[in-house]
Amino acid sequence: MKNDRVILTLNGIPREVPRGMRLAEAIAGSAGREMPCGGHGKCGKCRVHARGRLSPLTDAERRHLTAGEIRDGVRLACLAHVLGDAEVKTSGAAEGKILTDGISHARWENPAFSRCGLAVDIGTTTLAAKLWSPAGEELCSAACLNPQSFAGADVISRIEAAMAGRGAELAAAVRRAIGELIVLLCDRAEISPEEIDAACFTGNTAMLHLLTEEDTTPLSRAPFAVRRRFGESLSAGELCIAPLRAETEVYLPPCISAFVGADMACALLADLPGGGTRMLVDIGTNGEMALVREDGIFVCSTAAGPAFEGVGISCGMRGETGAIDRVTVVNGKLLAHTIGGGAPRGICGSGLADAAACLLDLELMDESGCLEEESIPIAGKVSLTQGDVRALQLAKSAISAGAHTLLCETGTNLSEISRLSVAGGFGNYLNMRSAIRIGLLPAVPEIVPIGNAALSGASMLLGDIGLRQEICRMANEAKTVALAGNDRFAEFYMNGMLFGVE
Amino acid sequence: MQIFADISENVQKGRMKAVKELVEAALAEGISAERILSEALVPGMGVIGERFKNGKAYVPEVLMAARAMTAGTELLKPHLAAAGAVAAGRVCIGTVQGDLHDIGKNLVRMMMEGKGLEVIDLGTDVPAEEFVRCAVEKDCRIICCSALLTTTMDVMADVVRAAEAAGIRDKVYIMVGGAPISEEFCREIGADCYAADAATAADAAVAYCREKAE
Repeated sequence: MKNDRVILTLNGIPREVPRGMRLAEAIAGSAGREMPCGGHGKCGKCRVHARGRLSPLTDAERRHLTAGEIRDGVRLACLAHVLGDAEVKTSGAAEGKILTDGISHARWENPAFSRCGLAVDIGTTTLAAKLWSPAGEELCSAACLNPQSFAGADVISRIEAAMAGRGAELAAAVRRAIGELIVLLCDRAEISPEEIDAACFTGNTAMLHLLTEEDTTPLSRAPFAVRRRFGESLSAGELCIAPLRAETEVYLPPCISAFVGADMACALLADLPGGGTRMLVDIGTNGEMALVREDGIFVCSTAAGPAFEGVGISCGMRGETGAIDRVTVVNGKLLAHTIGGGAPRGICGSGLADAAACLLDLELMDESGCLEEESIPIAGKVSLTQGDVRALQLAKSAISAGAHTLLCETGTNLSEISRLSVAGGFGNYLNMRSAIRIGLLPAVPEIVPIGNAALSGASMLLGDIGLRQEICRMANEAKTVALAGNDRFAEFYMNGMLFGVE
Repeated sequence: MQIFADISENVQKGRMKAVKELVEAALAEGISAERILSEALVPGMGVIGERFKNGKAYVPEVLMAARAMTAGTELLKPHLAAAGAVAAGRVCIGTVQGDLHDIGKNLVRMMMEGKGLEVIDLGTDVPAEEFVRCAVEKDCRIICCSALLTTTMDVMADVVRAAEAAGIRDKVYIMVGGAPISEEFCREIGADCYAADAATAADAAVAYCREKAE
């Protein structure tokens, strides 16, 4: 029946949905959808701003939401149903915490566009985008979660989903999310999407494969021989990026290998200036790292797992309101800082690293990671369990073992490293002293967070068309150090479980 | 003996340095390498293995314990060889072709070594024929296959077929394990044993070797 359908305006774009449909399904595939508990109202993480004709607030929602949130019209998408015309905003919910800024020293000498340039970083978890003027002025930025999470949080489950015939669905999801970001950006910059006359989409190797519907089979098994490395231009029409004019050029920067993608190539481009022997680390579910020497660039990738994103940690959560993001020791006691200042709801990656460092300092944890008690309260209801510490050990050891293997395999001494740049959102909030204390990062004189360097690099590629040649040369010349099956890595990995030197 | 209890305790806690010192002290006291291995190092690893199986210990503890145990065993090796010690059985292990994940495989290897088995590690990305060739050449009783990817687990079926083709299927015990592997999958491909974790795998391997020896 026709009148059984209602209009749901999602992030400013109306769509028709059946009356009575759950918000979760009604906004399916949209940027910002995230349902870690699988839509059972348990985790409270699928917050959206919704107004209009919706089902009444449930008790479970009252438990999860603050009075302020309820007043602002926040609902849980897994519990609210659409009863009539309604309006929903999703991107805003997560956007504030996604890092779009990074180091910038773009040369706007020979821009790839004449009216407006668009840079997008397609991450496994999040998407970040910026609009640029030809004069090198940042017009605005926007971010959202990667909606492909319906096929799993990690890269390998997306690769497998694409191989199982869901490639078109995954491509459509990310293209729609980019489209929504463009609408949002243009809204903010008060321009029309038609004015965007060049774009650069960077991302890891798998994300670019999924975006272009390229066969992901080579990414799924050894020898991981990537057939398409990108470093090429397509049109917005070919990529089906709806709001852009079909003929708008979209540059996809080159990937280095199956595991070290265009995002790392872009970060290297952004971090390039400055001489000497340096390292660049991007800490995510996969830790990618590069060693930059006078005689070449060496890269490797290591599977850290999602512990720093709060997954697999008993009180873990992403770095958003209610998350403990910093912990210090004051007068022999733990002092926690919570994002937003309210009661802590959980702990995020930077808080986790701090907490572990503090417990070491207070001798509540020994160097093998053994806690004095099964669970140690950090603040409010948030505590750190023995299992949490073990998960942290696996994650931090994967990163540190990767860095040490990279140094060892290239015959580089740690003392030669003058600077370590840490890319990515986590790196920006991470306390470097804690990172060194728990052995996550090597002790280097200068450790610098460089933010979303992938997006910086993509922006640079818009600002100077000549850099395309440079990034392709870098990606071609970078040498990959294989960690899988590497005995040195296995040894560093085992030794890296410890906190501190035995 | 107190020193055995101390060694076992330090293996469990993953204290490599302490284990090395204690093993050296025990050797200096004239205690036989066999006894140090079977009454101190192996029981220590056994405790961790058991706790791991019951969900009371985590992967990092097992890795740290294995590292401490291996360091202790290294010190014993010259003495064990001199005394002509015989391994409880020979196993070849590897991560199947297309898969480069070796943490789980290494854990199984260390657990098995901890139980006194001789383990030949074929590494990662191992073709089916290579498992069988090694089993034939080195006279292994057990072939152990590991896989982490659903995209590579089917290689295990090739291992079973390759063993059949080589005419050694009735002589080798084929064990499979890894995140995507299940009892059903093991049965489906005609392998002999599925182990859910490293400690279980080591126990099953030892039990099989013992059964064959009788």
